Amino acid sequence: MASAGSGDEKAAAAAMITLISSDNEKFEVTEATATLSQTIRHMIEDGCTDGGVPLPNVTSKILARVIEYCKKHATAAAGEEGSSSSFSDAAFLEVDRAFLEELEEFDDAFLEVDRATLFDLILAANYLDIKGLLNLTCQKVADSVKGKTPEQIREMYNIVNDLTPEEEAEIRRETQWAFE
Amino acid sequence: METPALQSEQQRPRQTLASNGLVAPVDEIQGSHSPCHRVDGDDSKDGEASGYSIPELPQDIWRHIHSLMPMDEAARAACVSHAFLSFWRCYPKLTLSWQMLCSKAKVGSLRRRINSILRNHTGIGLKILRLNLRDQDSSFPYINSWLQVAVTPGIEELTLELYEKYKFPCSILSIGVRNSLRSLQLDSCVFHPTPELGPLRSLTRLILRSVHITGDELEGFLSNSLALEHLDLYNCKKIIILKVPSVLQQLSYLRVFVCNLRVIENKAPSLSIFTLFGKVSKLSFGEASQTMKILILRHANVVYYARAKLPSIMPNLETLELGSSSEVDTPMLPTKFLNLKHLTIQISGATFSPSYDYFSLASFLDACPSLETWWLDVSQEYMEHESIFTGSSHLRQLPECCHDHLKSVEIIGFSSAKSLVELTCYIVKSTVSLERLTLDTLRGDCRCSGENDSDYCCSISQAFLKEASRGVAAIRKYIEDKVPPTAKLTVLEPCPRCHTSTVD
Repeated sequence: MASAGSGDEKAAAAAMITLISSDNEKFEVTEATATLSQTIRHMIEDGCTDGGVPLPNVTSKILARVIEYCKKHATAAAGEEGSSSSFSDAAFLEVDRAFLEELEEFDDAFLEVDRATLFDLILAANYLDIKGLLNLTCQKVADSVKGKTPEQIREMYNIVNDLTPEEEAEIRRETQWAFE
Repeated sequence: METPALQSEQQRPRQTLASNGLVAPVDEIQGSHSPCHRVDGDDSKDGEASGYSIPELPQDIWRHIHSLMPMDEAARAACVSHAFLSFWRCYPKLTLSWQMLCSKAKVGSLRRRINSILRNHTGIGLKILRLNLRDQDSSFPYINSWLQVAVTPGIEELTLELYEKYKFPCSILSIGVRNSLRSLQLDSCVFHPTPELGPLRSLTRLILRSVHITGDELEGFLSNSLALEHLDLYNCKKIIILKVPSVLQQLSYLRVFVCNLRVIENKAPSLSIFTLFGKVSKLSFGEASQTMKILILRHANVVYYARAKLPSIMPNLETLELGSSSEVDTPMLPTKFLNLKHLTIQISGATFSPSYDYFSLASFLDACPSLETWWLDVSQEYMEHESIFTGSSHLRQLPECCHDHLKSVEIIGFSSAKSLVELTCYIVKSTVSLERLTLDTLRGDCRCSGENDSDYCCSISQAFLKEASRGVAAIRKYIEDKVPPTAKLTVLEPCPRCHTSTVD
């Protein structure tokens, strides 16, 4: 079965962790990549990762995307640690800037998914406790309601209006400034 | 869409995947959600109009999403459902200002609107409160009660722009608040902290602008703020002596706009960035003078002061920014800034003293062997220096030094002043490492893109335009041919479209 990262010979020397998706697909990743997830970090610390880490709430499709994110950002985290001492060095700052730009481009492209996938990514990020990914994906949803009316927001996300017309009118009066 | 009456009774009905996810309880975080094959089998690209393919999100996640919305969006979203209303009631970052709440309204009172928001806010979860009441003195009697609602343990940032006579109630800085508060910015108020206040364990940023506080009171407050990293003081007239205590081990940034201040005595050992606008009679840095990396000073004759005194006081500076509206010539001295990499000098004004010899700035080239970038602003509205075109065209020389780090030099407000031409020729001839030389004959401010009709350069006076043209001529005649082929010369001339009036 094709697994992300399994062909990387050089990484074999580093500690590898096997993640198992809900549909039983195995993914081998480095510890550095896996520990972006606090949930997995704790499992590693407790020594319960032998034989793989079952993730019954994450499908292979979503797990592959999550790993893609973690790989990219694990490199970024390593880079930050390496360059923190060279604050004043213009060359390093230049490299950092280029890298941050690249990371931003990666994030933008990463978020180009349909709404259902986005929600699945949010749930996976929440379950795996990957703060950066959770914020990134939640921000995407927050941005999506920009300029939308309450009615449009309900339609976009199938949210049932459980307010009485009187309640809604009252809230509107209270937040009138936001509608002007 | 009609409101389902049943659901309005119960705020958290258990829902099926066919309805929305907003109300799933928190413990459902790990619960079943849509498997991907269902999404794949569904041809909707963005989930629009196919609700059942969108997995449910637990309420905590929706709360988090809501907290990431800007405040006006978050307030509008309060009308979506009961759950969203409850999110709004504990929205974590309130900005209460005329701009936010009243700018678009023809009528409406800021006080009434702030009252309504804070009366309904639970106070729970509030992390950031920005209250800007400047020029709204009808709010004056209400501030205390607002702060009591909003400033609760857990708050991290307080930014309050109040009134000159408002006395900030130190009692709101309870122990819980003091433990969580990271940033405190007070603008226009009276602040009399007592030594009994107790420690502010998390405070890293303190900004006081036009605040009535004495030097002693501030010193006491600082001694209680051991985590402080950033201190910014602007126009605090009652402070005559500023003492920064040595217990501030983390303090790295200090900015002071002098008002009546006479003495600055720093004992914080890690200070590395210091900005001072205005002159004081006594300035001491203690240990930090050895660790200071970035220094920004602005007062009369500061360039002279920096060249004459600083190399021995702050030998490890890496960035130096100086601003002055009058100067005496910069002395040639053997002392050096061995680590200085970035130098910014702004000596400009309506008319900068014509007796000032720009060529004396060459002293910095010799003093800074590690210099990489030099930005120099010499713009003046009415240039009265001797022009290279009016007097003797003999250019003074200095023994050439061989500078091999300086890569980028930018001169703003380049004119035909003879001593400026001499300085530029000296830099060009002495700097083997030069990659970019930018000579801007205007003031370095906005220029049009040249692409559309509504986009114009900033206007300049006839006198300035005339001198700019002479500056261009001086570059062509005296500088251009001296620039080595390894360096790129960029000359910014008056705009042929916006600066049309012809100058002979």
